[in-house]
Amino acid sequence: MADQLEQVDPGELVRAAQRGDTVALCDVLDLVTPYVGRVCGAIALDSGPDAAQETLMVVMRSLGGLREPAALFGWVRAIAVREAVRYAERDRRAWPLEEHTLARLPAPGDPELISDVHDVLTRLTPRLRAVLLLRDVHGYSEEDAAALLDLPVGTVKSRLHRARESFRKAWQS
Amino acid sequence: MSDTEQPQGWPTAEVDPVRRLRALAGAVSGAAVTERVYDAPLDVVWGVLVDFEGSFADLQADLTEVRVLDRTGDRVEVAAKGRLGQRARLRGVARDGFCWLQSRFLIMAMAATEEGDGRTRVALTGGVRVPGRAAIVPVGVRRESRRTLDRLGEMLA
Repeated sequence: MADQLEQVDPGELVRAAQRGDTVALCDVLDLVTPYVGRVCGAIALDSGPDAAQETLMVVMRSLGGLREPAALFGWVRAIAVREAVRYAERDRRAWPLEEHTLARLPAPGDPELISDVHDVLTRLTPRLRAVLLLRDVHGYSEEDAAALLDLPVGTVKSRLHRARESFRKAWQS
Repeated sequence: MSDTEQPQGWPTAEVDPVRRLRALAGAVSGAAVTERVYDAPLDVVWGVLVDFEGSFADLQADLTEVRVLDRTGDRVEVAAKGRLGQRARLRGVARDGFCWLQSRFLIMAMAATEEGDGRTRVALTGGVRVPGRAAIVPVGVRRESRRTLDRLGEMLA
């Protein structure tokens, strides 16, 4: 499936789906699902499957209004981040207060960190997980990431500094 | 693919076939989804659901015969014959746990996923397609799905 889809222009699939071809709609779903799973898993953690399903529902329902099919993944990313944050914040048991938890983040070089990204993520609020993902994995500027999540840029910069440094160590090891 | 790979160790959310079907059906006007859980393992349930040239026509009340015309990877094309003699050529996707088929006048879709303890959740939708559109005529969709699920239950008993 993945091999077949990689040979197809995503824009062409979107246009076919917009014309009412439900098999093309199915192909668009297959194309974006792994990506949605990664975004929602990183931000919503245990609520990831529910957030991913909701994201895909919004994406599928709204696909007809996507004017620039080439911008598919950027459009999907914005929806996935918002839904993942919404689901994660709904499940407040999954994240303790960030002021306490940031202080407990492993220091750079801590051998525990490399093998336990999930544990580190659980110590951040969903919005911080989202900014971390957007900034350090997807290459967003802090301004764009903060705007997408409706957070002050200054707050994002100061609170993410330690977490980002820790994660960079993990990725570069 | 133009999406971004995630560094190793970051959690990923799995989207099972039933969740995929729900999402897809949400984009098809009139495609109400009906679900039921069976006390049987996934491979057994799925084997009955998508046995195109075997039990498929027995499960779908309006069909008398189904023939597979082509199967390449997860792509499938089948010819179906209805009880009133009508014929349809359906094309689409059929793979473990997920099947979505369309013709000009029909949409048929099913999904199944493990529910735990050897049980399987099945989700169905489908019906008469509004020609050329992502839409199903919203008459009797749930009723037909319930009948199909009843027959599936009888076959699994």
